[in-house]
Amino acid sequence: MASAQGATVDEKGRRERPLHRSFVLHGFILAMLVIYAAPIIGVLMTSVMSNAEITARGVWHIPEGATLGNFLDVWNDTPTPRYLLNSFMVTIPATALSVLGGVLLGYVFSQFRFPFAELLFLVVIAGMFFPPQAMLIPLFRLFNSPVEIFGFQLIPALYDTVYPMILIHMSIGLAITTLLLRNFMSALPSGLREAAIVDGAGDWSVLFRIIVPLSLPALAVLATLQFTWIWNDFLWPLVLTRSEEAKTIMAGISALQGQYNVAWANQAAMAVIASIPTIVIFIVFQRYFIAGLTMGSVKE
Amino acid sequence: MTRGSRISLFLMAAGPLAFFAIFVLWPLAQSMYYSLTDWNGLSDPEFIGLDNFSELLSDPNFIRSFENTAIWLIVAVTIPTVLGLLLAVLLDRPLRGSRLYKSAFYLPITLSLVVVGQVWTWIYQPNWGLINSVLEGLGLDQLTRAWLGDPGTTLIAVILAWCWQQTALALILYLAALTTVPQDLVEAASIDGANARQQFTRIIVPLLRPATVVVITLAVINTLKGFDIVFVLTKGGPFYMSSNLAMYMYEQTFRAYHLGYGAAIATALFGLAIIVVVVYFRQARASERLYG
Repeated sequence: MASAQGATVDEKGRRERPLHRSFVLHGFILAMLVIYAAPIIGVLMTSVMSNAEITARGVWHIPEGATLGNFLDVWNDTPTPRYLLNSFMVTIPATALSVLGGVLLGYVFSQFRFPFAELLFLVVIAGMFFPPQAMLIPLFRLFNSPVEIFGFQLIPALYDTVYPMILIHMSIGLAITTLLLRNFMSALPSGLREAAIVDGAGDWSVLFRIIVPLSLPALAVLATLQFTWIWNDFLWPLVLTRSEEAKTIMAGISALQGQYNVAWANQAAMAVIASIPTIVIFIVFQRYFIAGLTMGSVKE
Repeated sequence: MTRGSRISLFLMAAGPLAFFAIFVLWPLAQSMYYSLTDWNGLSDPEFIGLDNFSELLSDPNFIRSFENTAIWLIVAVTIPTVLGLLLAVLLDRPLRGSRLYKSAFYLPITLSLVVVGQVWTWIYQPNWGLINSVLEGLGLDQLTRAWLGDPGTTLIAVILAWCWQQTALALILYLAALTTVPQDLVEAASIDGANARQQFTRIIVPLLRPATVVVITLAVINTLKGFDIVFVLTKGGPFYMSSNLAMYMYEQTFRAYHLGYGAAIATALFGLAIIVVVVYFRQARASERLYG
């Protein structure tokens, strides 16, 4: 951004900005950095403080000493392990199923032309924009009643189990998985399917033997995104679960926030535990994660 | 298309589409029907036409929630977009440690709004919260207040906590888009005598337009969906001063058991989302591509 004469040039040939401007810009970056780092450092520090210390001084100071006691307390004295298990039981199948559904629909919409194909595609991907509130009441009612045929109970009411969340997340997730996979598969070399069909392969083997192996990067992107979103979701478990046996970790944290006997330090420890899976996923798959988020804004 | 292909095509599409129809489209339609009924969740819904909607228009708490959503939209479109863009452009320059900075800014998007809300509760906490502690440290005691409990500041406090995460998202989208801005173009302009501001407004901002469309669309949609952060921070209080449409819908449905009324709010919310969908798809088609 330098315009001054005689500015230094970096190894990429880009000029360093003059010092006074650099000072202002660094100040801005530094201020933003504080705003972003402070809350995260705050939680981490609180999670290792003793409750006595927090009662005396609040949470915003350097801990007098570090203890892992809060993590042990949370693990042993609250249903946190159960909440975590429930979160995994929702997130893993819902992620896998929404990606599988996207694979099927992506293949159909990228390889075939049929009546109303485009309209159907638009309806599915518009699902990305639907506020969940617009489906909330009917789904709440649906899962509160058993499914009966001629008075014979086919499926019991699924309210307060993990299954409704799996079904809902997988169905809503189809919007983004179908969109990205259809676009990805459309960009694969054309004629792959035709050549395989001529060789006598059926569509199922074309899809799972040829197209899916080529689509692994897109699948990785979707798996990381879906995992993060579903893991972090709060509205559906809030509405569709009541007992400790069915609550996910996010609903669990929220429920314990309302109880006075759960101390700040324990809440912080729980927040750290709850965030570890998505942070690990992010660190390991950072490249895919960012690629997924940015697929809309980066022009090929 | 051969007959075998046609059967495969049908089988492949039928399963996922059936789930989408049962758990997304059908509930949407049912919501719209319920919005025309009086229903407490126990008895059967009773059809009352558009009464819920006319009641909404004279319900001060709904109007408050609607206005708050509008204010939220304005802030959501400006703060994350402007800060995210500025920060992205600055971090995209040769700068010592920019890689480390980026990681710090990326982290918030992996966090649940439940966790984000919890941290911000501690930042706004009246007695030992971060903001009040800093103000006291600076000798500005008269400025301290219960940020979330004060009717005058509660809404903006909630919105800013939400912006914290949304700005990180905008930053990531802009940083990725910046990698596609050709460096020669910026250099050529620089050689031709364009100063930093001209390079920014005449070259970088126009080239980032597709990214800006995505950033703003996501900000608007996330605002309409915005429930988690309000629930965790204030539950819409005090006196509905921080309530928004999503929160009021939840409150009327699951606290007041006005399910028909709640469905009417949900339908209004859906109507707003549809406007976004239409605008966005037109925009996307104009530039001959869809999101992705």
